[in-house]
Amino acid sequence: MVDVNFSMGQGAAVRSTVRGLVLPALAGALLFSTQSFAVPSFARQTGMSCEACHTVYPELTHFGRMFKANGYLLTSLPQVRGETTTKEERLSLNQIPPLSMMVQISDTQLSRSVPDSSGVGIAQNGSVAFPQQISLFYAGKIAPHLGVFGQLTYGNDSGTLQIDNTDIRFADVLVLPEARSLIYGLSLNNNPTVQDLWNTTPAFGFPYAASNATVSPLAATAIDGTFGQSVAGLSAYAFWNESLYAEVGVYRSALQGYANPVTGAAGPLDGSATNVVSGVAPYWRAAYEYNWDRHSLEVGVYGATFKVFPGGSTADKPAPLQGATNRFQDVAEDVQYQFLGESHIFTAAATRIHESQSLDASFLNGASANPRDELTTFRLTGTYYYQRTIGGTAMYFSTTGSEDAGLYAAGSAPGVVTSVNGRPDTKGWITELDYLPWLNVKLQLQYTKYTKFNGGGNNYDGFGRNASDNNSLYILGWLAY
Amino acid sequence: MNRFIILVISALGSAPMLSQAIDVDAAAQTSAARIAVGTCAGCHGASGVSTMPKFPVLAAQRSTYLVDQLKAFKSKTRGDPDALAFMQGIAASLDDAQIAGLAQYYSSQHAHSGAGVAVDSAAATRGREIYENGIESQNVPGCSSCHGSKAEGKVEGPRLAGQHSQYFFSQMTSYRLSLRDAAAMHEIAVALKPSDIEDLAAYIGSR
Repeated sequence: MVDVNFSMGQGAAVRSTVRGLVLPALAGALLFSTQSFAVPSFARQTGMSCEACHTVYPELTHFGRMFKANGYLLTSLPQVRGETTTKEERLSLNQIPPLSMMVQISDTQLSRSVPDSSGVGIAQNGSVAFPQQISLFYAGKIAPHLGVFGQLTYGNDSGTLQIDNTDIRFADVLVLPEARSLIYGLSLNNNPTVQDLWNTTPAFGFPYAASNATVSPLAATAIDGTFGQSVAGLSAYAFWNESLYAEVGVYRSALQGYANPVTGAAGPLDGSATNVVSGVAPYWRAAYEYNWDRHSLEVGVYGATFKVFPGGSTADKPAPLQGATNRFQDVAEDVQYQFLGESHIFTAAATRIHESQSLDASFLNGASANPRDELTTFRLTGTYYYQRTIGGTAMYFSTTGSEDAGLYAAGSAPGVVTSVNGRPDTKGWITELDYLPWLNVKLQLQYTKYTKFNGGGNNYDGFGRNASDNNSLYILGWLAY
Repeated sequence: MNRFIILVISALGSAPMLSQAIDVDAAAQTSAARIAVGTCAGCHGASGVSTMPKFPVLAAQRSTYLVDQLKAFKSKTRGDPDALAFMQGIAASLDDAQIAGLAQYYSSQHAHSGAGVAVDSAAATRGREIYENGIESQNVPGCSSCHGSKAEGKVEGPRLAGQHSQYFFSQMTSYRLSLRDAAAMHEIAVALKPSDIEDLAAYIGSR
């Protein structure tokens, strides 16, 4: 799974680096945090065009949000049915499985290439990915009140096929007096916020596709994709009258590719694992959406608290899953406005995530310089499309936080993903142009510009590399079929 | 025979003639309400009053018209762009009882009034003249003969009062392009100028 995500601070691939300091072994899992996508599976199941649920994929319209809240259940496909003598529905299965594929082919050019890993010369600049990612989806109804968004992904970075974003939902609706609705349900998923309905939260936020061949910054908050595909979460939600949404849930570590050294089996987790959630991590979300004429406005809050054992035992340094933990408490606000005209579509979205870090475990073992740190990420995005054919997005992003020479450490040699001043601050812009000759084919040109990277604008790594050296040009062909 | 009169007769002849009440049992009513509130509401509003002008107001629409349209979507004989994008898929899995239940659900909702909707008053005045008297020089009959003097709908034609102007205009375009299977309305839509349709849309949207 690849990271179709971010090339900058939000980039899961690099979030791992930060956690690599605080949570020493999260890196592997983080590499596979990806976005969730609009998939033709849903079009095949519902018989509806992409535009019913998306402005331009993968951004959801109000109807798309309702489809998701209702558990991906709406279907126009013939059903294999089973009923009891009392007409109780025991089976309702699509006769044709709603399968689909996604292929991403890309090329990435860095402003300045990175040093060769041998320490002599520089790496080749211009990374062609063919493919960057191929995904297989099963997305749709699997039982009368049960639906699934399931994704298996081959990525060129991992070179393997792995589990990707997954969201299994139970959903039903109550008809209240005065034609009010109450949609309620459960989501079993593997990435905090992947179950969310708005494109402001991390799992569905812009950029929807980004290079996995760039230099990514050190810091990211825990809810910002850090635990994607390495946890399992169960949450309950209610959506009243298509306007007021509330959700609570918990997440627990569910690592992929882990084997217990004693049993040789996939569990139980012990100190050989890394970044293991202690108990369960609570997750919460509240949002209000108001729709009028061609407009839709959402304001909301969300958050989670992760208490994490660093783990990562070695022969000379045991680290059992007990005692001190690192605690990441994330509280976020978000807002989204959509205008959906016949020819013109505009979206503005913003989120701010504030994280309070209590680094008892890392401070104890010397991985962090402070027992308490703060980290704040802010993103502001504006998107415009003309007739769902040609458009673009501009995004300002910023991550700032406490100086901590342990978490954001300097390197002893040119390392690119280091910080000479021990600060996490990264800021910049992404501008993207998109052309969709057809609704399910996107050609994308994306430029990422850093004004600050890992704490500095110039010589941020202490070896002469500037933030702007990590600017990148990314060309992508994105096929969904 | 005068082409103007032919169009009126033609319109009458092609209109749905099911005037009897649709028989829907309690179970079908409950099922329909769940579909309407749980699914259809996303575009049409829980009580059939859509907020987006792209989607039609369904509240107080004639049930026979709704049955005909849902069946047209299901059989794919209605092929305007939004029918293709949205309704053909939605209607594909509906059975006759659900269609009847949905028709009854929306037809029994409180009528939506366009009074207070901001429209070009001069256009609405011209639209009222066309609606009531037609345009004889273009062989266009008055709409009221089929849709009622207050645009409340009749056996021969659906309710139009309070319908979104944008939706009305897009459907007249669909009639003109024969994307909807209604010969009489095609003739009328072809005969009308775009400015006439805009005037009518303003009048209907303000009813």
